[in-house]
Amino acid sequence: MPKNITIFTTNTCAYCVQVKKWLGAKGMTYEEVNLDQHPERQAEALEISGAYTVPVTVVTQQDDSKEVIVGFNLAKLAPAVAS
Amino acid sequence: MDTDKLYDVIMIGAGPAALSAAIYTTREDIDTLLFERGVPGGLAAVTDWVDNYPGFPDGLSGLDLAEGLRKQAERFGAVIELGEVLSIRDEGDHKLLETTSGEVKAKAVLLAMGSDYKKIGVPGEVEYYARGVHYCATCDGAFYRDKRLVVVGGGNSAVQEAIFLTRFATHIDLLVRSDHFRASDVLVKELAKHADKITVHMNTTTDEIVAVDNKIVKVVGTDKTTGNKVDFPTDGVFIFAGLIPNTQFLKDTCILLDEIGFVLTDEHLQTRMPGVFAAGDVRSGATMQIASAAGEGATAALKLREYLEGKPHPIAN
Ligand SMILES: Cc1cc2nc3c(=O)[nH]c(=O)nc-3n(C[C@H](O)[C@H](O)[C@H](O)COP(=O)(O)OP(=O)(O)OC[C@H]3O[C@@H](n4cnc5c(N)ncnc54)[C@H](O)[C@@H]3O)c2cc1C
Repeated sequence: MPKNITIFTTNTCAYCVQVKKWLGAKGMTYEEVNLDQHPERQAEALEISGAYTVPVTVVTQQDDSKEVIVGFNLAKLAPAVAS
Repeated sequence: MDTDKLYDVIMIGAGPAALSAAIYTTREDIDTLLFERGVPGGLAAVTDWVDNYPGFPDGLSGLDLAEGLRKQAERFGAVIELGEVLSIRDEGDHKLLETTSGEVKAKAVLLAMGSDYKKIGVPGEVEYYARGVHYCATCDGAFYRDKRLVVVGGGNSAVQEAIFLTRFATHIDLLVRSDHFRASDVLVKELAKHADKITVHMNTTTDEIVAVDNKIVKVVGTDKTTGNKVDFPTDGVFIFAGLIPNTQFLKDTCILLDEIGFVLTDEHLQTRMPGVFAAGDVRSGATMQIASAAGEGATAALKLREYLEGKPHPIAN
């Protein structure tokens, strides 16, 4: 079980809805940073992912290591939240 | 998903065409599984605003439309599996699909994979993908607040997305290769209302995307009327220059494709493989609209039912 999960999103991004829905269906809680509401945190998302895109999901494990998943990428997201 | 089960119908894709078909099949208790490798709702889900879907006089967001279609299909029992179909094989009384979630069988199949944006194949395009080069304005536009942009294309999507991006960008250069828009007159008129932010460059090719220190700085194009190279300073590029059908995995099957790769069907939406139908943007001759994809989905569902009831139509050659 990860320590926490943060998702960077925007209002219009369909893949963000998909990540949230997928985590929700697994009963996982997450913090959402909506960049339309918090444009000041855009640089943070960019620095974490290296990409000008959302969703960016940051999974922090119990040992504080972080995994960054760009887009709705189940091949990466599923193992990251399972560990 | 149950790998031992023989499903009545498997639909490949969960865009408007397949979701509409699934509303019909599941309401008639036809056991239906949909495979989706991206988002349910397909391209409709990544469209900012839809003004031409019947029944919504004020328009609605693409995301809301996609959600509505998904919920309606699930309400009657459609199951959406998140995964990709990699191949399809005719095994006589059933079709065998290889997928990222394992092998699965169905009596009949609906091809509804839609299409994706074409790459234009210029230097810089692949190297800076998602780091300055984009194909989805609703996904990535927010990163260009108070920045300059170039949008490439002259069809409905390019015009619609350029207009959407004005909510973020300070200025947009719209590069249109031909001397006229392929976009509808309604959209072109709408575009004219944004002349303060969007400059249209007709007859202009996009030749190169140039970055300095890993940041896009300009697009180099050619003005075809003079032959001169033109620089468009920019922070990012959004490319909407035509679509390619998602049919690569059908290449080695008996299913016929047209010269671009769209699926050929007869008037019953049947392909050359018995029990395999196609609907929506993936079909040769499709009109690339949500309403028509939904309509074809409904038609395909009725044809699938006839096939499952043992009343197939002869397949034309
Ligand atoms: C920017 C933009 C704006 C638009 N605006 C409008 C508009 O205002 N009005 C309008 O009517 N139309 C509009 N359209 C067109 C409309 O979105 C499409 O015509 C419609 O979505 C087609 O539906 P479809 O179900 O055939 O295909 P799609 O919506 O493309 O759905 C196909 C789905 O199949 C999935 N898929 C593909 N291959 C596989 C595979 N091998 N395995 C599993 N899944 C797979 C894809 O991920 C996708 O989700 C717009 C399109 C774009 C891009």
